[in-house]
Amino acid sequence: MNTVANSYVENVHKPLPTVLDQDRGTFAMLLVIFTELFLFISLFFSYFMLENNKHRWSFNNPPKLGYALVMVVVLVTSSFVLHWGEKQVEKESRLAGRIALAATIVIGLVFLTLQSFEYLSHWKTLAPYSDSYGSIFYAITTFHAAHVIVGLLLLSYVLALPRYAPARESPYRPYHVAAMYWHFVDIIWLFVVGILYIGANYHL
Amino acid sequence: MSTATVEQRLQKIWETPKGLWGWFATVDHKEIGVRYLVTAFTFLVIGGVEALIMRLQLARADQALLTPSMYDQLFTMHGVTMILWYASPILSGFANYLIPLMIGSRDMAFPRLNAFSYWSFLLSGVLLYIAPCLGQAPHGGWFAYVPLTNIAYSPGYGMDIYALSIIYLTISTTAGAINFIVTILRLRAPGMTISRMPLFLYSTLTVSTVIVFAMPSLTVACVFLLLDRHWGTHFFHVAGGGYPLLWQALFWFWGHPWVYVIFLPATGMISMIIPVFSRRPIVGYPYVAISTVLTGVVGFSVFVHHMFAVGMSDMAMSFFSAGSMTISIFTAVQVFAWIATVWTGRPVMTTAMHFAMGSVALLVIGGLNGIFTAVIPVDWQVHDTYFVVAHLHYVLIGSNVFPVFAAFYYWIPKITGRLMDEKLGKWSFWVMFIGFNLGFFPMHLAGFAGMPRRVYTYPAGLGLQPLNMLATIGAFILGLGMLMSVVNLIESLRHGRVAGKNPWNADSLEWETDSPPAPYGTVHIPTVASRHPLWDDHEEEYDPDNLRTLDYDRVTLASTWRDAEPYAISKMPMETLAPLLLAIALFIFFTAMVFELLWIALAGVILTFAAGCFWLWPRPRPARLEVSA
Repeated sequence: MNTVANSYVENVHKPLPTVLDQDRGTFAMLLVIFTELFLFISLFFSYFMLENNKHRWSFNNPPKLGYALVMVVVLVTSSFVLHWGEKQVEKESRLAGRIALAATIVIGLVFLTLQSFEYLSHWKTLAPYSDSYGSIFYAITTFHAAHVIVGLLLLSYVLALPRYAPARESPYRPYHVAAMYWHFVDIIWLFVVGILYIGANYHL
Repeated sequence: MSTATVEQRLQKIWETPKGLWGWFATVDHKEIGVRYLVTAFTFLVIGGVEALIMRLQLARADQALLTPSMYDQLFTMHGVTMILWYASPILSGFANYLIPLMIGSRDMAFPRLNAFSYWSFLLSGVLLYIAPCLGQAPHGGWFAYVPLTNIAYSPGYGMDIYALSIIYLTISTTAGAINFIVTILRLRAPGMTISRMPLFLYSTLTVSTVIVFAMPSLTVACVFLLLDRHWGTHFFHVAGGGYPLLWQALFWFWGHPWVYVIFLPATGMISMIIPVFSRRPIVGYPYVAISTVLTGVVGFSVFVHHMFAVGMSDMAMSFFSAGSMTISIFTAVQVFAWIATVWTGRPVMTTAMHFAMGSVALLVIGGLNGIFTAVIPVDWQVHDTYFVVAHLHYVLIGSNVFPVFAAFYYWIPKITGRLMDEKLGKWSFWVMFIGFNLGFFPMHLAGFAGMPRRVYTYPAGLGLQPLNMLATIGAFILGLGMLMSVVNLIESLRHGRVAGKNPWNADSLEWETDSPPAPYGTVHIPTVASRHPLWDDHEEEYDPDNLRTLDYDRVTLASTWRDAEPYAISKMPMETLAPLLLAIALFIFFTAMVFELLWIALAGVILTFAAGCFWLWPRPRPARLEVSA
C-alpha cells in the first residue's frame, strides 16, 4: 500500500479558510456561455451548409448594411458602458454602477427597437417562409434577439436587487455574472453581422 | 465539545425537513440521486417492455400482432426512451449520489440546480409519454430523419412532442453537466489533486464537457424541425432550397458524442469496481485517465460515420472513417488496463465483478463489430440492417446496462445500507449474460442475411425465422435476468445483511461514510494523500481539535481545480421549491407549444422568469442554522 506524504497530514492541522467563495457562479456562467457559443456555432454551421444551395436563394438583394452597422455601434457602446459600471461597483461606488446598468438596459432596448425596424424593412423582400435563406437569416437573428432579451432580463434583475443583501455578499458578483453574459451576446452580434450582412454583401 | 454534538449540529444543519414540503423542496444530492436512479430505471422498464412487444411481433414470420404503424411508434419510443431518458440519467443518478461523497464534499456545487435538473428530467419524460397516451407517438425512429418527419408525412402531435420534450431534456442535461463540472473542479477534498481523482470523476468530467459542447446542436435541430413543421420555414425542404442532410449533420454532431456520454461514465464505474475486486490499484491509471478524456475529444470527429451512405466526398469519408478507427485505440487502452488489473491481481468474484467483467467481454464484441461499420465498404453492405442493431445493442447494453448493474451491486449497499444476495445476483448475471448473447448475437447473422431494421415483419422462407425466434427467446431471458436483480434488491431492503461502512474494502472516499450516509457525508472534511485514500495508512478524518467540521452553517470547502488546495468556503442553499416551480413553468411552456396554445406558452415564459427571480432573490439564512456552539 501507499505511504503517506507528510505534508498532507500537516495540512489537516491547518485551520480552514474563512473567505467566502465568490466565483462559483462565474464559473457556471462561463460554461453557460460555452454551451450558448456552440448553439450559435450550430446555427452558423447550418447557414454555411444551406449556402451550398445559394443558387436557389433570392440573393439578388443581400441585406442592407445600414441598420446592422448602427446596431453594432449601439451594442458595443452598451458593453463599454456596462464595463465602466462594473469597475465602479468594484470600487464601491454603487450609484455609478446602477446608472451604468440602467443606461445599458436602455441601450439594449434601443438595439431591439432598431432590430424591429430592420425586420420591418427587410420583410418586404425576404420572409422566413420565402426560402431556406430567409429561414436561416431570421432564425439566427431571432435567436440572437432572444439572447438580448434574456441578457436584458438578467441586467434588470441585477438592477432590482435590494441593497439590504448581506454585506458579506458583494453586489459585484451578480453584476459581474450578468455582465459576462451581456458581453457574450454583444460579441455574437459581431459574428452575425460579419457573416450574414458583410459576408453576403461582399460575397466572402 | 464532544464529537456527538458536532454530529448533532451537522445533522441539524444538513437534514431535509420531514413532510411533503421537504420532499418537494429538498436539495440533498443523495435524495436527488436516488430519485434519478428510480426514475431512470422506470424508463428502462418501460423501454424494455416496448422492446419485448416488438420481439413478440418479430418472433415468427408474417405475424400480425402489431400494425406497421404501431410497430414504428414502438421502436421510436423504445430508442428515444432508452437513449435519452434511461442511459444518461441513470449515470447522472450514480454521479449525483456518489460524486460529492467521493470528493469529500457536503453536496454538489449547485444543489438547487441539481434539483431543477431532476425535476425537468422527470417532467420532460412525462411530456414525451403524453404522445403514446394520445395514440400519436413519434414514429420516425429515434433519429427522426427528415423528410419523413416533416408535417406532410408525419401529421399529428407525435413529432412535435418528440422535438419539444427533447429540447426540454437538453436544458435539464446541460444544467446537470455544468453542475458536475463545477463540482468536480472546485469542491474536491484537500489533497485530491487532479492526478489522484477516482477514474469515475474523470469520465463524468469528460462527458459533462462533451454535453456542454454537443447538446446545443440537438436543440437547434429540433427547433428547425418544429419551425419546418408548423411555421413554413424551409430548413429541410429541398423545394425551398433546404437540405435534408442538415438534420442529419446537426443530429449526429450531438448523436455520436452522446454515445460516449452513455458509455464513458460506465467505463469509469468499471475502472472503480475491477481494481477493488482485483485487490490492487488499476494498471496504468494515467493512461486510462488520458484515454477517457481523448475518447471525449475524438468523439466529436466520428459522427459522420452514421451518414456514410448519404453520398459524401471521399475526403470527408476517409477522415471520419479514420477517426472512427482511432477512437477504438482509446477504448482498447482501457480494456487492456482492466484485463491487466484482473490478471495481476487476486480477483474476488463477487456479483459486481461478474457484471463488470461481463460488460468488458460484451464491450469487446461491440467494439470489434463497430470497427466493421467504420470500414466504409462493409458499412455500405450492412447499412440499416440488423447488423447495426446488433452492434449498437452490444455497445449500449455491454457498456451501459451491464456496468449499471455492476454499479447497483457495488453501490446499493452504500445507498440502502444492506447487501444484496450474492447467489441470486450471480444467477441474475448468468441469466442476463446468456439471454443477451442469445438475443443479440443472431442479429449479426440476420443482418448479413439482409434483414433490414425497422421493418415490422418479414416473409417466411427467407431463412430469417430461426434467428428471430432465438432473438426473441434471448430477449425474454434477458428480461427475466433483470427481474431477478430487481427481486434481489427489494428482498435486500428487508433481509439483506447490514453492509457497514466499507463492505468491499474499497479505496475511494464514499466508503468512509456510513451506509446509508448521513445528510452531511463525513463529519470532518477528509484529507487525501494518495489515489487510494482508504488503502493508504493515513487517517482521512484525523482532526482531534475539530478544526475541519464546518458545523457553523450550511457550507462546504472550495479548493483549487488542479492541486485541490482549500481556498474558500462555499455557502450552500437551503431547501426551496424554486427548482420545482421553474421546471413546472417550463413544462407548461413546452406542453402549450405542442398544442400551439400560444397564450398559454407566453404565460409559461412569464412564469419561468418569475420562478427564476424567486429562485435567485437573496434571502436571510433560516433560524435553524443558528445553533449555539
